[in-house]
Amino acid sequence: MEIELVRKRVFEDRPGFPRQYGPERTDRQPGLPFWPHEVYRDLVIIFLMTAIIFILSAAITPPVGPAKNPTVQPFIVPDWYLLFSWGLLKVAEILPGGVIPDPTGTGLLGPINVDAAFWGDNLTAIPVAPLLVLPFLDRGREERPAKAPLRSALGIFMIAWVFSASTYAINNLIIERWPFLGGDDTLKWLFVVPPLYAGVAAYVGLRRLGYREMYWWRVVPIGVALLLFSIQALDTYLLQPLDAGRSLGDHAAQLMLPQVQALALLVLMFLAAGVVTFYAVTFLDERRAKALLKPFVAVWLILLVLVMGFVAMEQPASFDFVLFQTMPHMHLIWGAPIFILITAAVGLREPYSAYEYLLNECYQCGKCHTACPVTKVEDDALGGLNLVYNTFKKQHDGVPLWTCLACDACSAVCPLDIKYSDYILEERAKALGSGAAAAGTAHD
Amino acid sequence: MARLIPVKDPVGRGNRFLFGWVKERFPTVPWADVTRQSVETVQRQLPRSHTEKYELKTVWYWYPLYCLGGISFVAFLITVITGIILGFYYIPDGSDVFTPEGVPTNMAKLSLACINGDSDCPLAPVPFGFIIRGMHHWSAHMMIAAVFLHMLRVYFTGAYKKPRELNWLLGVILLLLTLLFGYSGYLLPGNDLSGGAATIGINMAKASPGPPWLGIFLANLLFAGTDVLTANYILRMYWFHVFILPLVGTLLMILHMALVWVQGVAEPH
Repeated sequence: MEIELVRKRVFEDRPGFPRQYGPERTDRQPGLPFWPHEVYRDLVIIFLMTAIIFILSAAITPPVGPAKNPTVQPFIVPDWYLLFSWGLLKVAEILPGGVIPDPTGTGLLGPINVDAAFWGDNLTAIPVAPLLVLPFLDRGREERPAKAPLRSALGIFMIAWVFSASTYAINNLIIERWPFLGGDDTLKWLFVVPPLYAGVAAYVGLRRLGYREMYWWRVVPIGVALLLFSIQALDTYLLQPLDAGRSLGDHAAQLMLPQVQALALLVLMFLAAGVVTFYAVTFLDERRAKALLKPFVAVWLILLVLVMGFVAMEQPASFDFVLFQTMPHMHLIWGAPIFILITAAVGLREPYSAYEYLLNECYQCGKCHTACPVTKVEDDALGGLNLVYNTFKKQHDGVPLWTCLACDACSAVCPLDIKYSDYILEERAKALGSGAAAAGTAHD
Repeated sequence: MARLIPVKDPVGRGNRFLFGWVKERFPTVPWADVTRQSVETVQRQLPRSHTEKYELKTVWYWYPLYCLGGISFVAFLITVITGIILGFYYIPDGSDVFTPEGVPTNMAKLSLACINGDSDCPLAPVPFGFIIRGMHHWSAHMMIAAVFLHMLRVYFTGAYKKPRELNWLLGVILLLLTLLFGYSGYLLPGNDLSGGAATIGINMAKASPGPPWLGIFLANLLFAGTDVLTANYILRMYWFHVFILPLVGTLLMILHMALVWVQGVAEPH
């Protein structure tokens, strides 16, 4: 009865049913046609853009400002897209200067003044030059970001680096506005530390997304960050004050001060977050680590907000003291705990399930169906079924969960190497509540 | 008596006469045939959408980002249209003149004030000029942002790989041209930002890596002088902004999009 209806194609194009639900596949072109779908969509985008530009220009008229005055050097900030170049021009002062003499003595090739402008020119090429050689270094086929974690992490690193350079372009404004930053050196480290944090965390997260081996990629970055944090905290808050030559009694008296207590509390909380996270990712298996870290981080964040809020409300002087003591070392004192928590989160997160991440690569060639022995005896499989694709689209559970033999015939013929049986086993394991599913080693 | 032959299809006859006259002089049919043949044979995928070409039913969540290149082009078209209108009213003269109060100003800045409808406009303000200038400004910013994001999308999907290496290089050149568009654009108003940015630009041009005469040559070429006090950089930048960059940029953009058309959009599985 139902099969008759299927043969008559009664169900075609109904929601929940695949288009080609019969033995012979038609020549119907899948996908959204250029006309009218894509043309309409493009028109909508164009009209929306024009409307946004109209509204912006009606609401915000860019001011012209005073006329240029040749006798006054104004304080200006270039448009945002050139800030990075200006930031590099400013940071170039740390680089060596001098004059390169003309080797020929004719004045044709020199002398070259090596100054800030010279370095600014050359440093601006740093983000541009790699772009020119990129396609000749990185060969192969186009890939999704999760399949190329190194390239993607490098990209994140460069984005953060350009962002840091742009931020450094207004370094004097930042120091004027937030004097507790301590000085220009703190901002110079923006070029190194935050991009590294962003790049490493992105790399760890993308490895996780791609079902790669994880253990050391959680332990090493978190351990190094914790070590650097500890060294910085020990040096700044213990060794340097002790070196100052005061007696132990002075220190004991100082420890009674409320602002010192607030600082100690904050640093100890950061240390606790780092230590607990490091312990969890190093000595516990993934499930236990997550079970420990989720409630811990939630409570820790609430406590941090409460404590800092209390200090800021009740003892503004202590809050200022804490800011002035921590912000000059913000890259390690603030940055490392944030990096540790984010790295642990992206490194431990439930990766996209195989369902989402692996099955969505299917482009419906249908080879898996041909190879599958189960579909030959299943009544509702009617020849046109596509195991992986229909499972992904939830249109039809390709092979019912418990009848799959996990023979891997489908993976063997899959041109994209989609491991359908891994997915089935993972789903079964999940259904049984076994720990194997959460181990994240489905692919290894 | 002449037999009256009723004219059948008088409109068609008229059309045939009119277009026949044109066709005799400009035979367009062979060209149309060649175009149609190439569309139907060589570029069979031409009118097909991305999902049709790759026979995809799935929509990847990155596909919305595939419109960024198109967005930058649409923004470019808007800047071209508004830029042509602005060109009627803008005066590319940056030489310093002084108001009766002794305040330095220049014709570029004053013409901008008229376009913007500011109070220091010495002539009649341009009706709706502030809208046109605002659209030019905001669509330029949108274009640059879209170009950056487009580059990031291409980078993160690995779309620069074979066979699209040359198009990537073309895109890098277009990115630089876009930045130059923006830079030469905000030098034009003759305001304090213009003066300060010109100072930095002249210094950087003079410091370009190489012997000193090269930097001086570049500063003279790009800014019409080596000192912001004397350089009439606004006229020079105007010429770059409204002629050289649009010419080179439009040609390269057409080439860029033609290559996308021929090579297809990357589909990173």
